[in-house]
Amino acid sequence: MEQRIKTNELLRGVRVFIGLAVLTVVEFILGAQGAASVFLWIVALLKAGLVLVYFMHIGRLFRTEGEPE
Amino acid sequence: MSAKESTLAHARHKIATNRLGLWLFILSDSFVFAALLVTRFYLLGDKRPHLEQWLGLIVTTVLLISSFFINRAEVQISKGNRKGFLTSTLITMLLGIAFLVGVVGFEWGLAPFGPGDGAEGAVFYMMTGMHAFHVLTGVIFLFIIYRNGLKGHYSPEKHWAVEAAANYWHFVDVVWIFFYPALYLIGRI
Repeated sequence: MEQRIKTNELLRGVRVFIGLAVLTVVEFILGAQGAASVFLWIVALLKAGLVLVYFMHIGRLFRTEGEPE
Repeated sequence: MSAKESTLAHARHKIATNRLGLWLFILSDSFVFAALLVTRFYLLGDKRPHLEQWLGLIVTTVLLISSFFINRAEVQISKGNRKGFLTSTLITMLLGIAFLVGVVGFEWGLAPFGPGDGAEGAVFYMMTGMHAFHVLTGVIFLFIIYRNGLKGHYSPEKHWAVEAAANYWHFVDVVWIFFYPALYLIGRI
């Protein structure tokens, strides 16, 4: 059980990283194509959201210690 | 309430207070970076500094990979894998140093303007300099938890310092997520 939770958390880290990498490539292509800045801000907000939620665990702020995430 | 339950409740309260304090610090620090971001658009508008695009993409990738590894380090220590924690923290530190070398060592040298060359230079060096300073303090923070990890100070139940260092590192990453398009991608040269 413990091992499975650990594997899930590590796997989630990999998925988030892949998401961030894909968004960075999209951002780079948009920038190179001279796309409107609003699209670049949307991508940046998505990336920041992923980091805040899955890496920084902002949800922990609103949970009692020991509660499942 | 038994003595054990009381101790546990106290420890949980302490962690919650520490966490709130850290997030308040991050919020206050983010205002500094937000001000720099606003300054960039106020002074440069639709014009962006002439910078090495590939170098920008490389340092951004390096910082993203470092975020992955510090997250991994936190997961490892929370499950009691000290070796995994130490390895991931060490990789994060090395990537942080690589980012600093990329920005301060290469980008600053390659930029066709200096800090005193008008608004463009002021904005670029202030934004990257302030961010690099935070990366440097993050590397120092990581070194401290790495050293304490070597001494066996952390356990699955007690590793608040690791969580704090990881969150600080992720914050530095979030700042760059906004700085990267603002400096390298948005606007015309």
